[in-house]
Amino acid sequence: MASVTESLAANGNGACAAAAPLDALPAGRDRPAALISPSILSADFATLADECKRIVDLGADWLHIDVMDGHFVPNLTLGAPVVACLRKHSKAFFDCHLMVSDPAAWVQDFAKAGADMFTFHLEAVADVADLSASSAHPAVADLAKAVRAAGMQAGVALKPSTPAELVFPYIEAGLLDLVLVLTVNPGFGGQKFMEDAVSKCAPLRAKFPGLHIEVDGGVGPSTIDAVAAAGANVIVAGSAVFGAERPGEVIATLRSSVERAAAVGAVQ
Amino acid sequence: MALLASTSKLASGARPVAASRRTAVRVQATSRVDRYSKNDIIVSPSILSADFAKLGDEVRAIDQAGCEWVHIDVMDGRFVPNITIGPLIVEALRPVTDKVLDCHLMIVEPELRVADFAKAGADIISVHAEQSSTIHLHRVVNQVRTRAAAAARALARAQSQSQTQSGYRIKDLGVKAGVVLNPGTPLSTIEYVLDQVDLVLIMSVNPGFGGQSFIESQVAKIRELKKLCLEKGVNPWIEVDGGVTPANAWKVIDAGANALVAGSAVFKAPSYRDAINGIKASKKPVAAAVA
Repeated sequence: MASVTESLAANGNGACAAAAPLDALPAGRDRPAALISPSILSADFATLADECKRIVDLGADWLHIDVMDGHFVPNLTLGAPVVACLRKHSKAFFDCHLMVSDPAAWVQDFAKAGADMFTFHLEAVADVADLSASSAHPAVADLAKAVRAAGMQAGVALKPSTPAELVFPYIEAGLLDLVLVLTVNPGFGGQKFMEDAVSKCAPLRAKFPGLHIEVDGGVGPSTIDAVAAAGANVIVAGSAVFGAERPGEVIATLRSSVERAAAVGAVQ
Repeated sequence: MALLASTSKLASGARPVAASRRTAVRVQATSRVDRYSKNDIIVSPSILSADFAKLGDEVRAIDQAGCEWVHIDVMDGRFVPNITIGPLIVEALRPVTDKVLDCHLMIVEPELRVADFAKAGADIISVHAEQSSTIHLHRVVNQVRTRAAAAARALARAQSQSQTQSGYRIKDLGVKAGVVLNPGTPLSTIEYVLDQVDLVLIMSVNPGFGGQSFIESQVAKIRELKKLCLEKGVNPWIEVDGGVTPANAWKVIDAGANALVAGSAVFKAPSYRDAINGIKASKKPVAAAVA
């Protein structure tokens, strides 16, 4: 999947889709296609292969894999060995979110395991105090390049309290395929969806129409419209999908909300 | 109490419904570990070498192939250079088997995770003796027993609301505490917790990955440990993990180990049953010179 943002950055102007690269946004929409990425954390871990097949058959586009190391966040979930085993049973796009203290240490393991997207936290690579909206921090830039060099797509994740502007320099430099906006504080279960965090999608979408903007944290049928209105196109949902009686219907609901917003929000 | 009814139904292969997964953990009135005799040889296959995408099937398979325990290698990427699995895997496996869930925490600050593992249904929680894991080993070992018991008690209270009282006392909820030694760590490190632990795990490889070769020097450590336990009048399980196969298991059994972890030797074998039996029946080769 070639990155639209790379072409936009090459034009020196990230703000509007003026050029016509191979996958420019079609007329009448303001963002890339909706992608539903259910989180396997809410699946039955005794039957992961079956659970993933079931959810992909019901319409999931990606599989969201939450890696937590018990240190960056106060919970320990799973690592590359689990991804490697799942890779043998699934052809789906593995959308890995690394909530770990030293993401650079895991690039090779996840590449070998078959991860497709490697999303690391801005806060794990540099102190937020050392980051700026106007210049790229070398550690962040280097890691994004290393991820791509290893054959994966590169994403950066933001905790609710981290401003969206801090990722602008890397998108402008064409280094990122995705930004993940968290709408809960990572690592804790059962939290309430944070409306003020989702609003971070808006400045990102306005500046980078071709960017994958992903939202994770308390997203479900009752919150999807706010998420879609803010500009996200990649939707992570855990219990809202895996815990549903009819996950296929939930996936369809999430998708249509994003597609409606994509048409309505299009810059004329 | 009819606590085992639902676990045996689930162990027979019925897939637990996602919504009721969390209530499927059943706290035992007596420890699963205490069902086994220390005079027997326990085989505890390590799921590190299993297919993580089919864990239910894999655990059911080793259960039916005759293992006594199931060894769960938890790694956090900081204490060891690998991240594997956490409490949610234990929670997912609890309904699948009534065998002992034998958890080895290769993590820093294990005290932060002990309650999670107890709630998830672990029967044994083993923490590392080295200071890079915890500098308060004695306290953590006791936490495994007390906090784990408290967590399990709370869970049992929540579950017993819909059950009639049978009059048994929730005295020992059966979570056993273990301590683990890396290959380079001497026995002296655990001298003052030997009377606190239910199990000692001797690593015969450097922890972090499966499929490594057995470190021969650890046989003497096992023998020394057995001697130390006899001197102190304690009798914890002596477990070994790392490169154990049917060909070399006899060495550690001979030295005093009674619980053997085997990862690739079981899960990469064509027959889980033959591998497990092979480890238990391991004998010194007749023609081999004694080293």
